[in-house]
Amino acid sequence: MSLSGILNIGQKALALQQSAIQVTGNNIANAGNADYTRQTLGATPSKDQQIGPGMYIGTGVDLTGITRQVDEALLGRLRGSISDDESADTVQQWLGRVESTFNELTDDDLSTQMSTFFKGWSNLANTPQDNGLRQVVIQNGMSLAGNFNDLRVQLGNLSMDVNGRVDGLATDANGLAQQIANLNAQIVEAEGASGGSANGLRDARDAAINKLSALIDVKTIPQANGTLNVYVGSEPLIINADNRGIATKKEVVNGVQTTSLVFKRDGGSLNITSGQLGGIVTVRQQITDVIDQTDALAKNLIFELNKLHASGQGLSGYTTVTGTNTVDDATLALNDPAAGLDFTPTNGSFVIHVKDKTTGLESSTLMQIDLDGLNGNDTTLNSLAASLSGVNGVQGSISGGKLTIATTSSNLEVSFSQDSSGALAALGINNFFTGTDANTIGVNSSLAAKPSLLAASKNGEPADNQTAIAISQLETTGLKGLNGQSLNDAYQSTVTQVAVAAANAKTNAAAASSVHDTLMAQREMLSGVSLDEEAINLMRQQRAFQGAARLVSAVDELMRTLLSIT
Amino acid sequence: MAIVPTGLARVSSLLRSNTTSQSITAVQQQLLEIQNELATGKHLTAPSVNPGDSVIAQQLRKSLELNQSYAANLKSANSKLSEVDSTLADLTDLLQQAQNIASQNVGSDVTPDARIAAAAVIDSIYSQAMSIANKQSGGVYLFGGDRSTTAPYVDTAGGVQFVGGNNQLQNTVSDQQTSYFTVNGTGVFGAISSQVQGTANLTPTITSTTRIDDLRGTSGGGVKLSSIVVGNGSTSATVDLSGAKSIGDVVNLINQAGVSGVTASIASNGHSLQLAASGSETISVVDTANGTSAYELGILQTTPASAGATVTGTNVNAGITPLTTLASLRDGAGIDTVNGFTISNGGTSSVIDLSGAVTVEDLLNKINSSNTGARAEINESGTGINVLNATQGTDLRISENGGTTASDMGLRSLTPSTALADLNGGKGVQFAAGNDITITRTDGTTFGVDLDGSVTIQDVINKINTADGGNGTTASFSTTGNGIAITDTAGGGGSMALSAANYSNAPADLGLLATPVGNVLNGADTNPIRSNGVFSNLAKLRAGLLSSDTAKITEAAEGLATDQGRVVIVRGTTGAKLQELTNRTNRLEDQNVATKSLLSDLEDTNYTEAISKFQTLQTQLQAAMQAGAAQMRLSLLDFLG
Repeated sequence: MSLSGILNIGQKALALQQSAIQVTGNNIANAGNADYTRQTLGATPSKDQQIGPGMYIGTGVDLTGITRQVDEALLGRLRGSISDDESADTVQQWLGRVESTFNELTDDDLSTQMSTFFKGWSNLANTPQDNGLRQVVIQNGMSLAGNFNDLRVQLGNLSMDVNGRVDGLATDANGLAQQIANLNAQIVEAEGASGGSANGLRDARDAAINKLSALIDVKTIPQANGTLNVYVGSEPLIINADNRGIATKKEVVNGVQTTSLVFKRDGGSLNITSGQLGGIVTVRQQITDVIDQTDALAKNLIFELNKLHASGQGLSGYTTVTGTNTVDDATLALNDPAAGLDFTPTNGSFVIHVKDKTTGLESSTLMQIDLDGLNGNDTTLNSLAASLSGVNGVQGSISGGKLTIATTSSNLEVSFSQDSSGALAALGINNFFTGTDANTIGVNSSLAAKPSLLAASKNGEPADNQTAIAISQLETTGLKGLNGQSLNDAYQSTVTQVAVAAANAKTNAAAASSVHDTLMAQREMLSGVSLDEEAINLMRQQRAFQGAARLVSAVDELMRTLLSIT
Repeated sequence: MAIVPTGLARVSSLLRSNTTSQSITAVQQQLLEIQNELATGKHLTAPSVNPGDSVIAQQLRKSLELNQSYAANLKSANSKLSEVDSTLADLTDLLQQAQNIASQNVGSDVTPDARIAAAAVIDSIYSQAMSIANKQSGGVYLFGGDRSTTAPYVDTAGGVQFVGGNNQLQNTVSDQQTSYFTVNGTGVFGAISSQVQGTANLTPTITSTTRIDDLRGTSGGGVKLSSIVVGNGSTSATVDLSGAKSIGDVVNLINQAGVSGVTASIASNGHSLQLAASGSETISVVDTANGTSAYELGILQTTPASAGATVTGTNVNAGITPLTTLASLRDGAGIDTVNGFTISNGGTSSVIDLSGAVTVEDLLNKINSSNTGARAEINESGTGINVLNATQGTDLRISENGGTTASDMGLRSLTPSTALADLNGGKGVQFAAGNDITITRTDGTTFGVDLDGSVTIQDVINKINTADGGNGTTASFSTTGNGIAITDTAGGGGSMALSAANYSNAPADLGLLATPVGNVLNGADTNPIRSNGVFSNLAKLRAGLLSSDTAKITEAAEGLATDQGRVVIVRGTTGAKLQELTNRTNRLEDQNVATKSLLSDLEDTNYTEAISKFQTLQTQLQAAMQAGAAQMRLSLLDFLG
């Protein structure tokens, strides 16, 4: 061992401690960077030198590498928890918005509106001949219809917002996927040349994958060459540096315009269950369900109330009445789906009354609505109009798919009763509500123009109130179309369903966040930078550097001493 | 708020700051919730806060909203019935007053002038009673039923006519119940006679379009269709009839059920269903559990019929509706529409011509528009037609016009089978000892008839014919008009005559004191249909007073006493109903208080709890901030020189 050998040891030590201080400095510099992984410097004693048989002497220290303190398995779990956390948060936020559109448990929610509307009918039954109370019923009906429209528009807007959000997030996800693929390429390039670990690039890639996990749930499989393959479900998204890409596709699912996610390259569908996009897919289904239920509620309200109303009579009859619903094909049986009626009539009959206003006498005719599918003589719009024209004093006609029933003299007026077929309500004759769902529900404008047409009577007597009573009890009557639930029950179950989903989303969000925090803490335990620790390291490294420098200075003195001898 | 696991080997600086920020955010979120709760006073700010509680809260809110509606209905009913009650009190007073006047003026010491003066008072009572009868409350005529848009009592030439409806109006007062809020005018004023109900059962035949709703069924209480099980001995099928709206639907559904060899149809008798076997099937028809369809349709066949036998059901008892054709009435025999019938009421008389009438509605229209004050309607059970005298104080008679129309419907006011005891407004026929009638034939011979023991008009006819002994006088029942017709074919130049024997009242009571036309004596109808009530009795009293007819005054006073009795009963019922409504209102209010308190428990903020929680959270926030700040301030770097 020569002095220069010792000097060499000093030099190696100085270089190493310098690197160590640099690593510590880098750690300290990134102490606040959540994407950063703590690095440690690896050192190993240099190869010993044999100075005599069986005698070895150390030659200093060698740098073995700068290592990221990372647990890949933990990172995988952490990414899963990021996806779940983001998904739960998204569901919670959107469901909160759905819930707030219902505005339930206040005095101006839809349920209160319904109560007010039906209360109006009940009140009308107390003074059935009162035109003022009729006006109240009509106004309440308009207000209820308006409320349904508003609710439906808001829910529709939410649905559109959700689909819009899918577009935005898909673009982000695609960008991140491309970034990861690029980083894969860079890492291979960087590490392949040196054989070491490109810590900065790997940190950047981990950060990008975490961000992607926040959007969709992905699985990663590390490869020997340093790349990381990313899968969505069982489908590969990124293999090495190759990104299949993420794009959106607009399609109509069950009649609803829906934006779904596909692989950009081949259009294969992405099966996403978590992440923000997964949450949105879940919540979108829930919004669609709520919209469907609201529409079903409105549809049943319209049809059931119209059935009662169509069989009732007002203070006056019609000299002409035109159906508000359109039949697409007047030659088909009324219950044929291709006939195009939103409400399906059944086999049965109704009675049309023709009243001579001068004598006050009424003539009634039973109109058969034959929809039994037998004998090929089922009632079509054409045949119904023809049968109506066969009634003395009545003219049935069709214009634009709508049935018009008119009297042949202004002294005559028609009214209807005992409709067991629902045909009048289906065709929109003598109906209270128009429309077919929450979006289109409205009050028949002819009633608003002439409140005396509002039907409170069932037996034709002007002050009879049986129809008004039957309608006032409709809210709490079990309906076939709602699987035996009443309008009130159906509405409450929709609201409750949203409430339970929102409450569950809140719990899920808290749970997911808890898991995420725990895993984050574990990641921080291993990969996070502790300034105190780094301070100690720095002190140690500083001292070691000082020691090495002292060694160099000692060798220098030794050399100087030796040289002075000469 | 997430709890970070302890037992970590290292704590990074980022973890420390993250933990601090997370705990502060979490506490702040909770504080916001509590702050919102405190500010609004509502614990359940949205259903998702507690879905379970909010379901109950929604139900409670709905029940409060429904109760509001019931309370309004109860209030309205209460006000109307209170009005009825006070009106009836006034009416009772008026009737009492009228009776007092009657009793004061019945004595022999009262002069005709005094009675005429009293009649003026009755006039005033009459007009007051009219205004009571047409009293309105909140736009509703209290006694007008479901025709309460116009005054129900109209003063016509013959008397007071009731043009109101007989259906009492009702409204919902609780989840399951409705309550009346008007009173039946006829119950109070006795407006419509009750003795004119058609006696004939007119049950029509059925066709495939006969509606199930119109059937009265075997029980007479209507048909509710569910499922039946039809068998042929080897197989059976359950047939769901619940969707059937007409007889044709029932027949089709059974025939489509695929029970081979069994064919349903309407039986040739026209009023039942039948199931015929094509071979040796043994047909059975049973109801499913709790069903009554087969029974009500009359085709229940629990023990299978013998092989190949046709099962003919019992009468399905179709009810009469305005749409029923006249030809189908009386089990298909129809009614005589050729001759029509005559309605006379008071001074008016009208022949109801049914030549163009096809349906029951046409018939009803013809009668109701005959301007006779008669009102026709289908009886409540749907088995016949009633013609009512809606005018108080007039005599309504329904007679034949040469045919059988009125008899077919059981509407003839006098028939051979009419009991003599019913004649003359229930006074009957008074016989004398010995002969009651002496008849002089055209040949100058006479014979006497002793009517003792006669019970019906036919008995009288028989006795006359027996007494004549085949000597040329024939008694029969008129084919045109009502009454006993006596025809003389004895020959001779004399004129036929009939007189009372032994001062008997019987000829007068039987309407036989008419002048013969030629050789035919057409007796009068002494069984008029009269509706008695407040107005007819007041009119009678007035007439009695004006003519100083004490018998009439007494009769009127008796009638008024009956009227008063009836009014008192109605008033009692109304009082009881009012009491019931008051009780209901009170119960509803109690229920509301309880519901509101329950709702408040669920919805409203428990301030003690909320404030304590608020303070705890404040402390928690302070602690989190202090701990975080202290930790972050501390760094080893500060201690290293």
